[in-house]
Amino acid sequence: MKKVFALILAGGRVDELSVLTLSRPKSALPFGGMYRVIDFPLSNLMHSNIERVGILSQYRSYALLNHIGVGAWWDFVGRRRGVKMLLPSIGHKLGEWYKGTADAVYQNLEFVAEQKPETVMVLSGDHIYKMDYGPLMQYHRDKDADLTIVLGKIKPEESHRFGVAELQCGPDEPGAELLDYKEKPVTGDFEWASLTIYVFKADVLAEVLTRNAELATSYEFGRDIIPAMLGSYNVHGYKFDGYWGYSRTVDEFWRTNMDLLGPEPKIDLDAWQIRTNLDHDKLRDRPPARIAQTAQIENSYIYNGCEILGKVENSILFPGVKVAAGAHVSDSILFFDCVVEEQAKLDHTIADFDVSVGTGCVVGEGEEAIPNKDYPTLLRSGLNLLGKGVCLPPDTTLERNCIVAPALKKNDFDKKYYESGTTVL
Amino acid sequence: MLLAGGVGSRLNILGAARAKPAVPFGGIYRIIDFTLSNAMNSGFNTIGVLTQYKPLSLMEHIGTGDAWDFTGRMRGAKILPPRTGQKDSDWYRGTADAVRQNIDFIESHKSDRILILSGDHIYKMDYAAMVRFHGEHEADVTIAVMTVPWQETEQFGIAITDDHRRIIGWEEKPKKARANLASMGIYVFNTDYLLHLLRTIPQHDFGQHMIPAALQKARVFGYPFEGYWRDVGTVRAYWEANMDLLDPQSGIDLAGWHLRSNIEEEGRVSDRPPSFLAPGGNVRNSIVSPGCVIRGTVESSILSPGVIVESGAVIKDSVVMHGTHVGREARVTECILDKLVRVGDGAVLGIGDRGMANHEKPEHLSSGLTLVGKEAEIAAAVRVGKNCILCPGLVLSDYPSSFVESGATIRRQAQ
Repeated sequence: MKKVFALILAGGRVDELSVLTLSRPKSALPFGGMYRVIDFPLSNLMHSNIERVGILSQYRSYALLNHIGVGAWWDFVGRRRGVKMLLPSIGHKLGEWYKGTADAVYQNLEFVAEQKPETVMVLSGDHIYKMDYGPLMQYHRDKDADLTIVLGKIKPEESHRFGVAELQCGPDEPGAELLDYKEKPVTGDFEWASLTIYVFKADVLAEVLTRNAELATSYEFGRDIIPAMLGSYNVHGYKFDGYWGYSRTVDEFWRTNMDLLGPEPKIDLDAWQIRTNLDHDKLRDRPPARIAQTAQIENSYIYNGCEILGKVENSILFPGVKVAAGAHVSDSILFFDCVVEEQAKLDHTIADFDVSVGTGCVVGEGEEAIPNKDYPTLLRSGLNLLGKGVCLPPDTTLERNCIVAPALKKNDFDKKYYESGTTVL
Repeated sequence: MLLAGGVGSRLNILGAARAKPAVPFGGIYRIIDFTLSNAMNSGFNTIGVLTQYKPLSLMEHIGTGDAWDFTGRMRGAKILPPRTGQKDSDWYRGTADAVRQNIDFIESHKSDRILILSGDHIYKMDYAAMVRFHGEHEADVTIAVMTVPWQETEQFGIAITDDHRRIIGWEEKPKKARANLASMGIYVFNTDYLLHLLRTIPQHDFGQHMIPAALQKARVFGYPFEGYWRDVGTVRAYWEANMDLLDPQSGIDLAGWHLRSNIEEEGRVSDRPPSFLAPGGNVRNSIVSPGCVIRGTVESSILSPGVIVESGAVIKDSVVMHGTHVGREARVTECILDKLVRVGDGAVLGIGDRGMANHEKPEHLSSGLTLVGKEAEIAAAVRVGKNCILCPGLVLSDYPSSFVESGATIRRQAQ
């Protein structure tokens, strides 16, 4: 795939992820016990032999820069290979913050042109899936398409949540010409949704982005570029029917993690051969997990550096998580180096890095009916969110749908009991 | 200079295809990682690793030395295998001879002092402190020594010291020792003095020849070491040291020791995902490395990366290495399973008479442990006793019957 250049849109910060994306773009969100979300598209590219990649990022890029490094962990180092971080820059006629996905690519068209690709792939960096892009590229070439969009099947009543498309395509055909496309329509029943993987002819991409930049006031592939191309360009839809995991909201992120678990997990990381940067977060310097005589662990993920003395079920534990004797963690996701002290209980909780939960704390108790009072659309399913570095003092109780802002220390908590829907700042 | 040529013959089939320092340990490590990590944590930046016996695993493992931070302009880890020189074949004939044959390496890396290490032991030591001791005592040679039980003195070089820790007498593996201060095989030499010794003493071993000769003329001191130290040269000692990882009081502390390993070898073992403790599985008192899938029961055992334990299987008091698969309802008790072993459904390993030592190698295997070699296959419902040796690469047709009695050894049949 020497003539393909891939651009990963990795910059977005979505407010829907609350405290989890305060210090990182959503593509750098930890996932699955040791990975970052962007590891999935990066590993897919690597396994598809697409070896030249640009990553477009602008929000809190440090976490991402640090994670990508020189790209060696995905085998992107070599004379004809490479991964480049493309950050917004000034002192240039185009220099400004990226105004949207299409603008981000537009501002880097010069760089893309220097790579002399025939085909440019634009994909988002925040989905959990395994896909061989090879057959997609083949389809794109066979149809001599100007643009091929990857589509997944949805329930028609969910049309308003997605960029949706109409396609007339036999079950045995890999794809067909795109008949219609609408971005998050208020009404309408569509069967197919865009998975935000776009394959462009390089010269067409430059042409449509330049035209949009001259005329438009909006700069999104879904809202602006694709609808404008329909009718005047050869645009195709390509079907994908494998597992597709979203991580755009707290609920989606939690559910997608839970798809790693169960008697027959939907996500098979070993088969997918997902790679990550093992230097980052000292992944490789930790000893193997130690599980004590008192431990009880079921249906859970653990990695090096974990020390488990208590009970863990239906949970994802990242490296260095410690669960003391008598503690009980259920249906939770604990990022790197979280500590759960003795007799503490965590249920349906997502804890960012370095959270410590004091002895006897209860996080996740009682009725689930009351959504978060400050962010009711964001947190209503009963999950609690503990920000990075939070230190919950002993015997603190949080009911449900609570958010604790990052770095709060013991003295910052003036109560022992926080009702459902509370945000602690 | 790290002497890593050890054959490890008493480790039996564990050491059959790899040098002793390359034998896997503690889930994700190899024995040599302890010495390499000590060298890194003591601030050393150049290390020569002297290999001879089956060096392939070892060479791959050390790689560029990057895992122990030995890469950089002023840093390096060099593998020093035997080479032909003035004579046609210059195999290393002993510890001192191995160093002697690499005098050019020593001279090309200017140094005042040389630290000589072996890659065979499980311990944590600050070599920088030992080098300071060496300087403070204006020593020509310093030997790390530790107190051992009197009944073990005949396995070691024994130092007799005066009140100032100067070594005034030396007994190499004495039948009846005069002291119980044992050499750990770790030496600091003034470089000039080492070169002088190597050039004037024609024999080949540090313990037997160089040290006794040095005592006559030079200042030789004993640097006292206290703490966890194990020579895992026997199957039993190897198993016990692994089990020490399960006991927080044992003195072995992988995280606190800042132990490092090269996890990129062998087709990127490192790419294994986290371990999945599946519904119905049960793990207690164990070490679990990445990439394991556990649907059965694991108790008091050490699992290396990628071990699969199917539902209903029970592994107890065992060391299980990379990629081994234990089938449904299988039972594995007090076993050491090398890499990529396949245990069939319902097979039972490690039952029966502990008193029946291995018939062929009672000196290797008499404590009840059963050894299964790399890539050996064990048929469904086979029963295997204690102190058995199932050789590497066994296939189903190699078994004379579905019962392997305690003390038996099963080999590959001639093709």
